[in-house]
Amino acid sequence: MTTTPQDWFKQWEALSQRYWDGWKNQGVSPPGFDANAPWQAGLEQWAKLLAPSLAPAQSDLVERIAANGKAYVALMQSMIGAAAGQQQAGANPAAAWTEALKNGFNIPGLDASLFNNPLGGNLRDIAGQGAKGFEQMMADFAKSAGGPMRAEALATLGMPTFGLAREHQERWQQLGAAWIEYQEQSARYNGLILKSSQNGFDRFQSKLAEREEPGRQLDSIKAVYDLWVDAAEEAYAEIALSDEFRKVYGAMVNAQMRVRSLMQTEVEQQTRQLGMPTRSELKGVEKSLQEVRRAIKTNRESHSADLAAEVAALRAELNALKREIGDKPAAADKPAAAKSDGGNAKPSKTKR
Amino acid sequence: MGPIRIEPQKALDEALKLQQKLSASMTTLRSLDPVTFGVTPKEAVYREDKVTLYRFKGAKAPTSKTPLLICYALVNTPYMVDLQDDRSLVKNLLALGEDVYLIDWGYPDGSDRYLSLDDYINGYLRRCVDFLRKSHDVDAINLLGICQGGAFSLCFTSIYPEKVKNLVTMVTPVDFHTPDNMLSHWTRELDVDLFVDTLGNVPADLMNYCYLTLKPVRLNQQKYIGLVDILDNKAELENFLRMEKWIFDSPDQAGEAFRQFIKDFYQGNKLVNGGLTIGDKAVDLKNIRQPVLNIFAEQDHLVPPAASRALEKVVGTTDYSQIAFKGGHIGIYVSGRAQRDVPPAIHDWLAKRS
Repeated sequence: MTTTPQDWFKQWEALSQRYWDGWKNQGVSPPGFDANAPWQAGLEQWAKLLAPSLAPAQSDLVERIAANGKAYVALMQSMIGAAAGQQQAGANPAAAWTEALKNGFNIPGLDASLFNNPLGGNLRDIAGQGAKGFEQMMADFAKSAGGPMRAEALATLGMPTFGLAREHQERWQQLGAAWIEYQEQSARYNGLILKSSQNGFDRFQSKLAEREEPGRQLDSIKAVYDLWVDAAEEAYAEIALSDEFRKVYGAMVNAQMRVRSLMQTEVEQQTRQLGMPTRSELKGVEKSLQEVRRAIKTNRESHSADLAAEVAALRAELNALKREIGDKPAAADKPAAAKSDGGNAKPSKTKR
Repeated sequence: MGPIRIEPQKALDEALKLQQKLSASMTTLRSLDPVTFGVTPKEAVYREDKVTLYRFKGAKAPTSKTPLLICYALVNTPYMVDLQDDRSLVKNLLALGEDVYLIDWGYPDGSDRYLSLDDYINGYLRRCVDFLRKSHDVDAINLLGICQGGAFSLCFTSIYPEKVKNLVTMVTPVDFHTPDNMLSHWTRELDVDLFVDTLGNVPADLMNYCYLTLKPVRLNQQKYIGLVDILDNKAELENFLRMEKWIFDSPDQAGEAFRQFIKDFYQGNKLVNGGLTIGDKAVDLKNIRQPVLNIFAEQDHLVPPAASRALEKVVGTTDYSQIAFKGGHIGIYVSGRAQRDVPPAIHDWLAKRS
């Protein structure tokens, strides 16, 4: 029997209604009770209900589950929608399912740079409690130290440097150039991540095509998701182990370090003006501290070794003396005894 | 016929099951006990700066006359070897009669940024070993190096062969340039001088980020989606949180030591290529002539098995054994199979060479 678009819509509406009924029983409502409301909204409400009553570690966990669960539930919604209408999949079912998978990742409100780029979103999501990547580090750094200076540096870029402020202007130009280079290198890196996402979808489609024969078909959303994870990781590993990625990754990190380093120089300029200790001075102190530590330890060990050698030498001398005394049993310390017993004392045994 | 045959009703059941698990978590998450790791009783026997040497106390006195010192990596804390009561390499080794010690390197701060590999290996590690040799009145101890700590142990044994009776390395990188070593691949173009001069100590958060990006979807998304399945199980959830706590509770890396490790090990691959010096002491793995047991994990994404296997060809000993463990970099300490297989393998191997 063929499913008409009307049948499909009714079926889909019924499924969605049941999904939201499930949430309603837990105090979570769909936004506006719309049957087509994005399913991930349920998770958002769940996290909001739960998080305030938890300790920080658990609260962080809830955030992580919600963030990743939303992507998964959106995928579910897209795949169930496609499953409900699967008779309309057309001539290339693997391609149609891959499209449904992509749609699942492209949830409403998504940053345009993450469209069809679940890996890019994933890398951005890693930052959190205990993990912070280069992009986040740079964002934090630029927020606190870079903003005004970056604007100044970019404004002076390309202008001839002269006069009293020549040195300052030159530094700002270097900073501006470094910032632009970092942006370029980041764009190259993000380009490879996007390519990896796309290759992941291609691999997924190929893997799906291998499963068209009876007995190898996937019959659950989780199985579909796990297959995509395998495909995405394989595609990523291939790119991440390529020479191109190695160069781009290195260039991106090095470019960021140059920006940070030049910004640190600028901050030093400012703090020196204010009479505050600078990072360079602190580095000098830290270096000296380590040298002093090493010297103390070396001296202590050397002193301890000298002392041990001295004690060993004294012990050897003492033993030698003991042996010497032992070898002369009745000599120096025996005359008194000899006198007291009338000179009949016997020689003592030598103890070795 | 299409590749996916999902019955809409069955798929909805999956969604409803997920809801139920999330609902159950409202109770479970509120009832969790605080999680800790490092469960076996221990006593600090030697301290130096931020470094502490611990002796573990088992239920019975050790039968082994030679102390066994665990030298862990600088990254992460060493308590992966003593995560919880039923997942503890330390506890199992104690039960078998080993006298187990562990170096906790501590959490470096700004005052430690100039700590070098010389300070770590010829300094802290050597003094810990000397302390044990003296306190146990033995010429040499048994050394068990883990991951980066295994690389340190190889250097140490090469420099001070007379102080190590038997050497055990676990998930230890030796050849850093195997084609499947993603971490090493990424460091190859890194200007590590600029990196360390700019950052000083390398933040733990950044290190963790790099590890997660080795398998970004699996480690950052699939793991948490899989977690939904155990949201109604207090004990399993606490185990999960304990592991999470360990993963993200990591020390920053002392800048100078990081610089040298990246240059000489990751970029220069000097353990294999030669030319490595720690301080003023040359490292040559051919100097290692004592028995060596090399244990690695077959599914290790941080230290690929080939990186560890390389030890056999570069070490000087004629008494070399290796064990390929079915599992990953962490599973080799915490999985059920690890509890059953790894400690007896180490103990039996040591016992034959006591």
